[in-house]
Amino acid sequence: MAVNRPGALRVFARLKLRLLANRLRGSSGQVVLFLGGVAVALSFTFAGFAIFIAPAFSDPEVWTLVSGFGGTGLVVGSVLLPLLWFGVDDTLDPARFALLPVPRWRMVAGLLVAALLSVPAAGLLVATTGLLVPAAVHGGVAAAVAQAVGVVAGMLLCVTAARAVVNAFASMLRSRRMRDLAGILLAVLGAAIGPAQLMLMSTVPNAELAQLARAAEVLGWTPLAAPYTLGLEVAAGRPWAVALKLVITLATVALLLGWWARSLESAMRGAVASGGPKVREAAGTSVGQLFPRPLRGLPASPFGAMVAREVRYWWRDARRRANLITIAVLGVLVPLMVTLFAPAHPANQAGREGTVEFSLSFSGEVSPLLLWSACVFVGAFAATVMANQFGFDATSYAAHLVIPVRGETELRARAVGYAVLVVPVLLVAGAVLAGLRGQPQDMLAAWGLLLVGFSAGMAVNMPLSVLAPYALPEGSNPFATASGSGMAKSFLAFLSLLVTFVVAGPALLTAHLLPQVWPWLAVPAGVGYGVAVVALSCYITGDLLEHRRPRLLAAITPKG
Amino acid sequence: MTDTAPALLLEGLYKRFDTKVAVDGVHLEVPAGSFYGLVGPNGAGKTTSLSMAVGLLRPDAGRAFVLGHDVWADPVAAKQRLGVLPDGVRMFDRLSGPELLAYTGLLRGMDPATVNQRADELLDVLALRDAGRTLVVDYSAGMKKKIGLACALLHAPRLLVLDEPFEAVDPVSASLIRDILTRYVAGGGTVIFSSHVMEVVERLCTHVAILADGQIKRAGTLAEVGAGRPLEEVFVEVVGGRTATGDELSWL
Repeated sequence: MAVNRPGALRVFARLKLRLLANRLRGSSGQVVLFLGGVAVALSFTFAGFAIFIAPAFSDPEVWTLVSGFGGTGLVVGSVLLPLLWFGVDDTLDPARFALLPVPRWRMVAGLLVAALLSVPAAGLLVATTGLLVPAAVHGGVAAAVAQAVGVVAGMLLCVTAARAVVNAFASMLRSRRMRDLAGILLAVLGAAIGPAQLMLMSTVPNAELAQLARAAEVLGWTPLAAPYTLGLEVAAGRPWAVALKLVITLATVALLLGWWARSLESAMRGAVASGGPKVREAAGTSVGQLFPRPLRGLPASPFGAMVAREVRYWWRDARRRANLITIAVLGVLVPLMVTLFAPAHPANQAGREGTVEFSLSFSGEVSPLLLWSACVFVGAFAATVMANQFGFDATSYAAHLVIPVRGETELRARAVGYAVLVVPVLLVAGAVLAGLRGQPQDMLAAWGLLLVGFSAGMAVNMPLSVLAPYALPEGSNPFATASGSGMAKSFLAFLSLLVTFVVAGPALLTAHLLPQVWPWLAVPAGVGYGVAVVALSCYITGDLLEHRRPRLLAAITPKG
Repeated sequence: MTDTAPALLLEGLYKRFDTKVAVDGVHLEVPAGSFYGLVGPNGAGKTTSLSMAVGLLRPDAGRAFVLGHDVWADPVAAKQRLGVLPDGVRMFDRLSGPELLAYTGLLRGMDPATVNQRADELLDVLALRDAGRTLVVDYSAGMKKKIGLACALLHAPRLLVLDEPFEAVDPVSASLIRDILTRYVAGGGTVIFSSHVMEVVERLCTHVAILADGQIKRAGTLAEVGAGRPLEEVFVEVVGGRTATGDELSWL
């Protein structure tokens, strides 16, 4: 493999395509998931293309808006979505090149070429070519040509930004010293969506089109939307601005590539050489060491041991930790957003005019049902991680096949271990929500629904995790995904959310129909209902797990 | 039944992956108290056979018995008598050594005091005490094999199934592992392990089986299989191999 020669980029491209093809060969499930992913990507591409082409049939101000805000959305989405949900396709894992004499910059260029050969990048390119049409209509051929250059530069920017940011976070999460900082940064990044969206939403209803267009113009001078506004500048007769915006874009791409190159060394070393661990002396008995301090009251039994192991793993395994951080971020973010945009209970409005006006000014038509649905959603979303709970264990799960472990006990322990970490986050989410609304009883109501959503979600995800497990790629990048697994994750999450809402329906209806009674019922009902549905699910799924363990182990074992 | 039963009995194990037959009707009887070596070239089906024998992989056909208990029909009874070191040392490696031993012991339903006492002894004997709270994922290859062996021994099983226990292990650790296994067999236990290294098998084992192309080609006591010749010679003869002519790789 001539990856150290100047023609290496072609080799990287061919390698990526060959690996993708090999991965899909012989596995009908993988092919279905991949084709499903392509179908979803096509629909998003079509929708994006329609949005970007629309200004061709409107006045130029709309073109400015779509280019500025649309472009910004694409760049921000390219950075956040892989971090918070999809991960990045790690078909070409940098660690595999560690022993080859490839100069770092050639390596980055090769990996960039490989990253560009992906369904999301292709979809992004096709969708944004829609901008060529308004450019041609409003600015002529020259504007269209400039926009074509911008579209390509924009795709480069999005892909580079996604890779650079994900790799930087991955190397931070690998490092024992930096992983806490990575968690905080990720939380801040996720939480920044809230205020940004809030600012936007508070501006939109009151602002004139011209004001919004001015904001879009400003964005056009930042790397976020610069490449997508080149056609606009030609149409406005400012060719110098085209050159300047192109420089802004390419300089940003160069900076991001530099950042990526710096984190590449850590990615190539992987977890193996992430610094020699400091040997800390073990204190206490072996059994005592297994149980984290807050869990010392657990029985020293198979159940207790599995709960303790789960809790330790949720924190010690970078991949699990990344999921946990996402849940913590979204757990607080969603109620925050809904609270700010949903109206308060009509019954609670007296004496809170300020809050009500504030809320109603954004979304006067929104029902309180939305608020309670959001609580169920947050709980259910937190449980979606359990849909592939065995996938995190990978080959380690062999230990549960050579030791006779009862399936029901294992599932109960996994549920409790995860709940120990997530329930406090949900309680904080409920408290934030009530704090924002200024009504203590809302906290109780929200807690009940958060618990119902979470437990119903766990109940639904238990059988899913046994019936549809999939392997996560080997390696130390917690955001790495195999081709198709983003699709599998999204499909399973969608399915589990859908069913969870059905299972949680009675509680949601009670909260909606009996707003005076629900806050007092909520917590006991939430806990009782939650324990009952999870216990029932574990009981039903336990035998299935015992029977399917060998197949499950094969499914979660990474392939090459 | 279990007193007279072989420690491990494999009856017609068969496994196919897509179009490739990995294990093609393996019959093997491992007598109780024997030190059994399973040798074969790469891809012969050793790991697949042992995986089916211990319940990691469901066979397409055939049965496996541990001291008379069917691994697939009566897994609890079979696995209680079985200690396993899987290939690639597959274990929960984000626990420290003591944590992993405690986890394994409690998972097996052992009394916590017994777990603590045995874990302490195993950590001392296997020279893993100094690793402290270092996670197993950060252990060296030899240390991983040793902690894997400790997990397999913790519940005092009557049969040990070890996949490549000496692979990537330094001579000091290998010697320690050999000593422990020899003492275990002397105490009435049974060991079956896979290996590529004929010298180790000749030195340790009372019995040996040669597996190639998914089938047992020869099996019996070391004397029966070797028939007075070095095991390596018999192995090459049974498995077949390519002899270098001296003209290849002239550019080296």
